[in-house]
Amino acid sequence: MKEEFGKSPVVTTIALAWRLIRINPALWTIFSLIVLFSIIVPEKFLSASNMVAIMKSFAVTAMLSVGPTFVILMGSIDVSYMGVWMFGGALVWLLYPYLGLASILIYPVFGLLVGIVNGYIHVKAKIPSFILTLAVTAVFAFLTTYVRNVSGVLTLTVPAYNFLRESPIPFLPSPFLLALPTIALAIFFMFFTKVGTYLCAIGSNEEGASLAGIDVKKYKIIAFMLSGFLTGLGSIAIFVHLGNQTRVDFDPSELIRGLAAIVLGGTPLAGGMGGPHRTLMGALVYVLIFNGLFLLPGVDPNHLKLYIGTLLLAAVIVASKALKGALIA
Amino acid sequence: MKYFLIALDIIYVERKMTSSQAVLVEARNITKTFDTVVRALDGVSIEVRKREILSVVGENGAGKSTLMKILVGIHPPDSGELYYLGERIPFPKNPIDALKRGISIVYQERGVIPHLKVYQFLFLGLEDKFTKLGRLQLEKIIGTAKSVFDELGIKCDLGSYLYELPLSTQKMVEIARAILSIRLATGEGKEGEVTPLIILDEPTAPLSIEERDELFDYLLNLKKENSFIFVSHIIPEVMKFSDRVYVLRDGKIVAHHDLSAEKVTEEELFREIVGRESYYELLARYGYGQEQPEERPTVLTVRNLTKKGYYTDISFDIHKGECVGLFGPAGCGKSEVAKTLYGVLSFDKGKIIMDGHELKAKGGPYSRIQKGLGYFSGETGKELFLYWPIRKNVSIINFEKVVRKHLVAVPVISLRLEKSLAEKIVKRLRIRAPSVDTECYSLSGGNKQKVSVGKWLEKSPKVLILEDPTIGIDVGAREDIYEVLLEMKRNGISMLLVSDDPKEYAILCDKILMLKEGMVQRVCTNEEFRGLMGL
Repeated sequence: MKEEFGKSPVVTTIALAWRLIRINPALWTIFSLIVLFSIIVPEKFLSASNMVAIMKSFAVTAMLSVGPTFVILMGSIDVSYMGVWMFGGALVWLLYPYLGLASILIYPVFGLLVGIVNGYIHVKAKIPSFILTLAVTAVFAFLTTYVRNVSGVLTLTVPAYNFLRESPIPFLPSPFLLALPTIALAIFFMFFTKVGTYLCAIGSNEEGASLAGIDVKKYKIIAFMLSGFLTGLGSIAIFVHLGNQTRVDFDPSELIRGLAAIVLGGTPLAGGMGGPHRTLMGALVYVLIFNGLFLLPGVDPNHLKLYIGTLLLAAVIVASKALKGALIA
Repeated sequence: MKYFLIALDIIYVERKMTSSQAVLVEARNITKTFDTVVRALDGVSIEVRKREILSVVGENGAGKSTLMKILVGIHPPDSGELYYLGERIPFPKNPIDALKRGISIVYQERGVIPHLKVYQFLFLGLEDKFTKLGRLQLEKIIGTAKSVFDELGIKCDLGSYLYELPLSTQKMVEIARAILSIRLATGEGKEGEVTPLIILDEPTAPLSIEERDELFDYLLNLKKENSFIFVSHIIPEVMKFSDRVYVLRDGKIVAHHDLSAEKVTEEELFREIVGRESYYELLARYGYGQEQPEERPTVLTVRNLTKKGYYTDISFDIHKGECVGLFGPAGCGKSEVAKTLYGVLSFDKGKIIMDGHELKAKGGPYSRIQKGLGYFSGETGKELFLYWPIRKNVSIINFEKVVRKHLVAVPVISLRLEKSLAEKIVKRLRIRAPSVDTECYSLSGGNKQKVSVGKWLEKSPKVLILEDPTIGIDVGAREDIYEVLLEMKRNGISMLLVSDDPKEYAILCDKILMLKEGMVQRVCTNEEFRGLMGL
């Protein structure tokens, strides 16, 4: 009763907003970036075409990072999303003559399979997840290039999916729309099933989770499965965005893009807190920074890749400082 | 204060009732042997009555945790019988089996998952009854959580994260979780025939004094419908809040007191816990402290050292070759003072002066070692690198003794020097190991401790801080360690001792500070101390 007394609704609202920002530091960054670029380059930044570009770019970044968030939440790491995305596209191209339009569905199936294999090897053979999934990515990246070289084509394009590139709603690009189901699924698993809670518990205190009666090994495998499946499903949006083709050469900056979105969003690499909702914010931060930098006069677009690595470094340091209080407790 | 007095009143009323309570769980003649050598429990029988707080006290290694682990099905016993409401039942096979019998455990520290919300933690692992087609029914979960919290009298925001709550509330939530899981496992509603039995393993260890009182108010309230086994070695708490006490020593029940019927003093209980017979031998052999010349330079000066919530206004001097002891019940702040001196904890107010240099509040162990401090804790594995050979464990703090500067300016570790240094220590301390290349994990507890203390022997710091130096090791190894420590003392190394064992103070210390609730109560000499302890 004492606490309620003398507090106006305005104060309560401000307190709520402050708590929201304190828990999700990325919100603050998003807000500042939008204000900043709207002041410096208003015509370019606020134009409709730029908004569409931001949405497309956001979809790609989010699709690379939402799945792996579950594994990082649990305290491991999964960088196999590059492999799923690249070789999954090659599989779609290879199987199109046999399966027709249904071959795009090979993406989530392939992602799930990779996730199961990753999870089992990580849990049963006790191999550190970073090395394991990096090796998986290396293998699939090589296979993708190999398929391209053997078949003698320049790109692995499937023109039949061109209809997917047309968006039924104006100003909402189709990659963005195609990303929505993945986002919805990720949020569902995080907040509406026990899986999200369990993964968070394992990342926060693995021994405590096991004492609470959670089958830790099983849920570790489930985390990798979720990661693979969501990445596979999300890769469809990237596939369409790139012109119904997949990447055939490995680019480390794309690998960093996924991790940067996760860390910028506020899921520490040590796990235990955060989740896909934060990663979505992180993806937006990432996209806003690069979109804005690109528009600024005097910034050489060729140097953007340099900024990507630097940004990840800065993000890891800032995030670990900002979340320190919460992490120690 | 008023509320506290009322709480004490309740104890008085409730205690009167207990002697007539029915027996809930009874364990008879439990024996458990590990590795066919160490007998952890030897014919232990205990009974828990309905609606009581039963304390099980004993030193570390007395078998308290083993007994509790048997009751919740983590370890199977070698022999013994278990009765539930007078009816013989098999021992639970795992913690879930125990839950169905209405027995649950709250672990000392590892149980809390800091980054979960309160309601998420409350239902962790219990979600199955609140799920529809894989989808969590959040309203039902939060609603149940609310009613449980109202019933048990916990006041906190269900949506906040556990790390945001005070430690005492975290503990309360953990206890609520234990009760809830018993209810769900036994299929009982709000009130049923099952009286939950909750085992609390040292629940107050991380709490401050006010938080402890808060937790005990909560437990006394819950006692109306639940039974508790309270595992602890903090005697004042045990005396204040429990109905009956069992004392465990070396795997046997050595005493049982019904606190509502008989009058037991803290000292009596203390002596039963440590068992003083075996100490006479050691005392006779090593004498009581050592005669020291009067005029000795001061090495370490501590003035008005304060850390909020842990200790207040601690002042003392340590002279060259002197050993000062900080004595008091667990939770009195003695180990916090020791950790502060070594730089593991910071302090708020006061001064630490060592050889004329003032030490900073936030120094860290590295700078303290540079200034000539050393720290030795008997807790196994805390300071040893278990997968390293003995020689490396010795040389890690003695690098200047094992490096050789060759043609290059970079100091190069010499294997030969390292080995000879380690061999010297192994010989001196009678460490039983095949060679200095033996990895430390394969050594016995006593030998591990000897390696830990041996590395400081070579380093010869100005002040060595000892925290429970002989905890959990056999008498033979203890003697070897005392011998070495006394020799170091004769060579002019000063010491600060923190321990649970009064005998240790009698053997090593020249001056003893009695601490209670973070304050120095009195300072006494070795002789006065022995008088007080009856040693």
